[in-house]
This record gives sequence, C-alpha cells and structure tokens, in this order.
Amino acid sequence: MKKEKKASWKRALTVLRVMFKVGFFTWGGGWSIVAQLQREFIEKRGWMTQEDLVDIISVGRSMPGIMVMNVSVLFGYQIGGIPGVVCSVAGIASPSVIVLTIVTGFYTQIKDNIYVAKALVGVRAAVIPIIGGAALKMRKTAWVDYKGYLISAAAFLLCVFTPLHNIFIVLAGAAAGLILQRGNKDGLS
Amino acid sequence: MVYLNLFLAFVRIGFCSFGGLSMIPVINQEMMQNGWMTLEEVADIVAIAEMTPGPLGINCATFAGMRTAGILGALCATFGVLVPSLTLCLMAAIFIQKVKGNPLMGHVMYGVRPVCIGMVLYALFTLCESNFFPESTLQSFYFKPVLISIVVGLISWKTKASVPVLIAIAAVLGLILV
Repeated sequence: MKKEKKASWKRALTVLRVMFKVGFFTWGGGWSIVAQLQREFIEKRGWMTQEDLVDIISVGRSMPGIMVMNVSVLFGYQIGGIPGVVCSVAGIASPSVIVLTIVTGFYTQIKDNIYVAKALVGVRAAVIPIIGGAALKMRKTAWVDYKGYLISAAAFLLCVFTPLHNIFIVLAGAAAGLILQRGNKDGLS
Repeated sequence: MVYLNLFLAFVRIGFCSFGGLSMIPVINQEMMQNGWMTLEEVADIVAIAEMTPGPLGINCATFAGMRTAGILGALCATFGVLVPSLTLCLMAAIFIQKVKGNPLMGHVMYGVRPVCIGMVLYALFTLCESNFFPESTLQSFYFKPVLISIVVGLISWKTKASVPVLIAIAAVLGLILV
C-alpha cells in the first residue's frame, strides 16, 4: 500500500514536470495542448489512450472556465487522482504566471516591438499544423464507421453556422450516440 | 481586502465564460466596476496575453492581479479563475472514472468523439481565417503565414519534431520571412 502511494506521487511529479514544459509552448488556444499531451503521455509514456484523450477534451471543451485548465484537471485526475490534478494544474499554470509577472514590468516595450510581432506571426501560423496533426491522430478512435463522419460534419457545420455553445453540440452528439447504438449491448470502450 | 475582491472577481469571470476571447467582455465589466483598470488597460492585457504562452484567461488574471495588487494579487486572481475547472471539472473527472466501462457510456462516446473532431476542425477553420485572412476579407489574404504553416507541417510530418522545437522554428521563420 505504501509502495503504491509512493509510485503515484512519483507519477504525479512527472506530470508536474512535463506540464510545466507544456505550459511554455501552449499558444493559440486550448487545442494546442492536445498535440503535446499525445506526444508526452500517449506515445512516449503510454499512460493513456487516444480514446481517453478524446473523451477528456470533449468534456473539457464543453465546461465553463478555461479549456486548457479543464483538460488539465480531467487529465490529471485520470493519470493520478487528486495528486495528479494538483501537479497537472500547478505545472501548466506556472509558466503563464511566471512569464506574465515578468512581462508586466515592461509590457509597453514588448507590445510595440517589431521583432516580437514578426516571431509571433510565425508562432501563430505553426499552431495550425500542430493542431492539424493532433486531429489526424484522433480520427481513428473517433470514426469507427461512416456515421462518425456524418456526426463530425454536422458538428462542424453547427459550429460554423449557429451560435450554439459547444456544450449543446456535445450533448447532441451524446444523444446521437445513444440513438444510433441502441440495442448494441457490447458498448464501445 | 483587495485580494479577496480580486479572487471573487475572477471566480465570477471563470464561471461566466468559456475561455479564450469570450472572457474579455466579462473581464472588462469586472475591472471597470471595481475601478481597477480602464478600457485601454484591458485592451493592453488582451494584447499581452495573446503575445505570451499559456491560456488567455490565466494570463489576463495574472496581469490584472499584478497591476492591481502585485504578486499576491496575481496569485489570488489566477487561483480565482481556476475555481470552475477545480470544482466542475473535478466532479466530471470523478464521474467519468465511475462510469468507465459502462456500455451506455460507450454508446454516448460513440456520438461524442466525432463531435470532438468536428470541434477541432472548427478551431482549425477559425485559426486559418484569422491567420491567413487577417481582416476577414478575401482581399486581405496573407501569404507568409500560409507558407510558414506548410513548412512547419512538412517538418513535423517528416521529422516528428516535438512541439517546442516546431514553435522555435516557426518563430525564426517569422523573424526571417515577415
């Protein structure tokens, strides 16, 4: 029992260290942490599956608050319970707090600096292939048959053409799943 | 007292918004009401938050707290904006753990997982729009970010470079090309 506890803290500390690093490279909104979580915890360490990650993101995206932090809480809990949550949240929030604390002192210089602006055009453009790559990796777990394509297309169109909040689109997806899979006793995951 | 007020203001901001730019009107309102900042300063916060890594909400909270009441203020504000994640999402996390393996949950996720792909595609769509068409008109098409996106995409595909490496390469490309 004691050994188990020690192992879970060790795991939580790894989460802290990795999430700290992830925090420095999260640009352009919540989706960009997805690529990093895939790399660090699915491919490198095998601590979770692509399905787990997709589920966490769907929930994190539809809850109030900051998506990155929601995903961090859900992720941390799954990996290491409450210690996992503490380490995951502290890890990913610290870089922002550190950087902002420093930047506050001389933000006018940074705001109008031409080189900062140029580099940022590059960084923002890089977020597109990074998120695109993450989406490609998720597609296999999300699309088990052709109906998956249709649900994705419907969700995309709802996002583009309606002001519906994500939570309603996720709930609609859940309802679609229950209806399409009714009578299937095996379930999926 | 200012610490408690900062904390509570950002708890409200957290619960009333869904991250990203949707937080700005709520932040505006809270900052003005408490007389912590002017409209221009809030605009500055947003500009700075977008220039630094990490989620916009955390960056805004740190910046606003720092400007109002120093480092302790920054910590109170940041902790406040985290409250929705630490309460609602933690409950969701515990719930998910409980129902894991339940066939009904499998049925639900059969429908939800493709929605997740739809949402990420929409995020990509808006990112392409704001990066490649900065004024949101066809005339404002901006070729350089497209080039950087393609180059970074190819590097990522061919070398499997990690995200930090890709971000660094992109920053250099921006400095050279833009």
